[in-house]
Amino acid sequence: MRLSELLLFSSLFAAPAAAEDLTVVSWGGAYEAAQQQAVISPFADQTGMEVQVIQYDGTWAALAERGPNEGWDVIDMLDDQARVACARGLLLELQPNSLFTPDALADFTPFGPDRCAVPQNAYARVMAFSDRAFPGVKPTRIEDFFDIARFPGPRAIQRSPDGILEWALMAEGVPPEQVYGLLSTDRGLKLAFRRLDSIRDDILWWQDPAEPAEMLAEGRAVMAAGYNGRFFDMAQRGRAPIDIVWDGRIIGIEVWAIAASSDAPDAARAFLTHAAQPSSMARLATHIPYGPTRRSAFDRIGLNPDTGVPMRAYLPNAPQHGGRSLIQDSGWYANTEQLRTRRFRAWLDETN
Amino acid sequence: MPPRTQSKSAPPFVRMLVLTGIALVVGSAASLAAIALLELVSILNSAFLVAPKSRVQWESMPWLVALATVLVPTLGGLIVGLIHRHLSPAGRPLGPPDVIEAVQFHRPLPDLRSGLISTGTAALSLGAGASVGQYGPMVYLGALFGNFAHRLQLGVPNLASIAVSCGVAAAISTAFNAPIAGVLFAHEVVLRHYATRAFAPVTVASVTGYVIANVVFERPALFRIEFPGVAHGYEFALVALLGLLVAVAAIAFMRLLLAVGPAFAATIKRPELRTASAGLAVGLTALALPDVLGIGTSTLRFATIDGAFGLGEVIVLIIAKIMLTAVCIGAGFSGGAFSPSLLIGSLIGVFFWTLASGVAGVPSSGAAIYAISGMMAFASAVIGAPLTCILIVFELTRNYDVTIAAMVAVVFSNFVSHRIFGRSLFDVQLARRGIDFSLGRDHAHLTALKVVDYLKAEAVTATAEEAPEVVAKRLEERGWREAFVLDLESKLLGVFTSGPHQGVTRVDQSVVPAKLVFDDGTDLAEAMQSLRGFVGDAVPVVSREGGQYLGAVSEADLVSVWLDEAGRLRKEENASV
Repeated sequence: MRLSELLLFSSLFAAPAAAEDLTVVSWGGAYEAAQQQAVISPFADQTGMEVQVIQYDGTWAALAERGPNEGWDVIDMLDDQARVACARGLLLELQPNSLFTPDALADFTPFGPDRCAVPQNAYARVMAFSDRAFPGVKPTRIEDFFDIARFPGPRAIQRSPDGILEWALMAEGVPPEQVYGLLSTDRGLKLAFRRLDSIRDDILWWQDPAEPAEMLAEGRAVMAAGYNGRFFDMAQRGRAPIDIVWDGRIIGIEVWAIAASSDAPDAARAFLTHAAQPSSMARLATHIPYGPTRRSAFDRIGLNPDTGVPMRAYLPNAPQHGGRSLIQDSGWYANTEQLRTRRFRAWLDETN
Repeated sequence: MPPRTQSKSAPPFVRMLVLTGIALVVGSAASLAAIALLELVSILNSAFLVAPKSRVQWESMPWLVALATVLVPTLGGLIVGLIHRHLSPAGRPLGPPDVIEAVQFHRPLPDLRSGLISTGTAALSLGAGASVGQYGPMVYLGALFGNFAHRLQLGVPNLASIAVSCGVAAAISTAFNAPIAGVLFAHEVVLRHYATRAFAPVTVASVTGYVIANVVFERPALFRIEFPGVAHGYEFALVALLGLLVAVAAIAFMRLLLAVGPAFAATIKRPELRTASAGLAVGLTALALPDVLGIGTSTLRFATIDGAFGLGEVIVLIIAKIMLTAVCIGAGFSGGAFSPSLLIGSLIGVFFWTLASGVAGVPSSGAAIYAISGMMAFASAVIGAPLTCILIVFELTRNYDVTIAAMVAVVFSNFVSHRIFGRSLFDVQLARRGIDFSLGRDHAHLTALKVVDYLKAEAVTATAEEAPEVVAKRLEERGWREAFVLDLESKLLGVFTSGPHQGVTRVDQSVVPAKLVFDDGTDLAEAMQSLRGFVGDAVPVVSREGGQYLGAVSEADLVSVWLDEAGRLRKEENASV
């Protein structure tokens, strides 16, 4: 691996370096800043290439519209979006065997590179609570999210069927591997909404992913469903007493992919191998609590350079977290969007 | 019964090596094959819109889902029926009863081609959503690997039977992630004895299956459940009551299953149309009740969730699943009765819980314990393996409380079903083929031996018109006292005893009726019973139809056959290595 990388880099040095050798597309904000420090800058330093970073909204539609005109090379995507983009021929086919050694391929978790994408980090939809609201016994399981007798108070939930239906079934004792199968049946959806009924009067809806952490910090909600990075940020930087319950976490995977229209496929491939190194992944995880997608990277994760917090405890896919975890089924999500939205709206209307 | 060719026994150390090696090879092969079969079924279920996850993808096109629901099982049935009819020498699906028969009598399984075709049609039946189970075919597939040991001459007595049992244990161990249950299943259902020579390799094979499923492939357990415990002491009594209720349903199910086959055969002449119409029945029912399609993994899970089914709903589902499973298996779909039994039993458990907790208002620890108890009580009545079922619960849930509750339900169910129906569906199916295990395996072995195979060549016969002196002389020459007198059509007239016969010119004038006559259907067990108090040289054997004299068997010969058989069984059941 080392040797092949070296050869690849040296061949790049040999080529005449133009300005803006590579265009990387990401999401902006704290996430992009972390990527810049942990992955992009080290790559630019090593290769001497000039890397431009631009932002998009994360959809494959944006890639189709803007990619060819703006010269996109490497794109940061959600796994389900990457699958759709790959199926539509918007992404370059990668041949993972030529990019990685068999050992490296076996090191990926929960799944390895596929036809068009290389997994780069794991984020999670988790349940968090305000420590102030529960001075005594704390919630520890996803069942507690639905238990308003033991843990009374408003719950912040995204106004969408995403995630909450999975939790509703897990709270009924359904093991993660059966959740999507059961949610595919009418009976399963009914059961999930029945569980949701039990907290109907205590729900505080949110639309913007920044809201749940704010709602907890401001005391408007006692529990919230949201993304682990946001809760971490609020707890660490906002100094709010927010704690994350890892049981029932729904893990999503973020991938790197190369645009089919890229004019620098070799440089893009070099970027992908660089970004998928355990050291790059571990560096990213110290800046922002998104877990590496290679097992060996976990051993290298240390303290956050700004706050000095040991980051390993805050990663959604850290092996030391107990409890249940569910890998989001991207294919299922894409296929059932209409159904879930329709049933969710119907359920919302039952109140009015 | 064909004569057994047994090679000379090898030294104990070599035998140990051979047994371990066979266990590892057969165990791995059976386990991998079981996983492959499950994967194939899962792929087919997705492709044919049987699995909920693939049905929901086409949710925006309800007509397509409805069309697939009706057509897939129907066409699947048609193809399964055609394959059995035209390609399989056996002409029918093979299953655990064939394995039991082969192991008990140390015969090879039916031909390999029929076995492979049966496995293929099982994948197709399950893949197309027929209401049959996957464990029967998995057990048979595992047994097929063990069956190759019939070709080996490695100096271990009964090696092939042990190897077949190894395959069975590995298949069950892989299917349920339950190595202990795998060992017990092979012993309770297939081997029916606990000799170390068999126990050790079967255990090795079972653990091999577990390692492959769990460590190599990291397959999730079939049925994971978190269970806090039994809250009230009286619930054990409730569970016992549930066991009795389940037994009644299980007996009805098995009787129906056995009756459907002949009924189908009488009404629909072409076998492929039988399976096609059974498939059509499944498809039409599934339009209203999608839970009846296929293996029903999600339905099994719903059964453990409080209030997932309404009372009316669960009653309809129980009846539909019982009828459709009986119809599918009776019509000739390839597949077992075990996993439908798990589903039906768990639904009966839910029904019972809904009555007790919802209607009667008895506080309980939730539906799960009743679902699991009902599930195992029903399945154990069908496969006749109470210990296996108890151990499966233990290994799947790793929960002591729920195991004890399930154990109570299992024994009460077995009490009733064994008394009224028989030990298991397999045993009753075998009994209909003339192999009766209801009084133990020694009795079954004796009933498999026919007296007609042990005729004594020296027996003296005479024709009716012969002179007594001539016959007496012949008797004297051969050292016998009795001759069997036959008419011109060689029917037995009676027995002529040498001695003074004054004024008699033909033997038929002084013939006495034989005190005891066997026919060509008489087995050793019956013969030994009727020989009590018998005095004489030999017993004549006549054909059941026509009454023609076939020969005679001597009492001494029958006793030595009986002693040989008892000795052989004793050896097999107590062998160390």
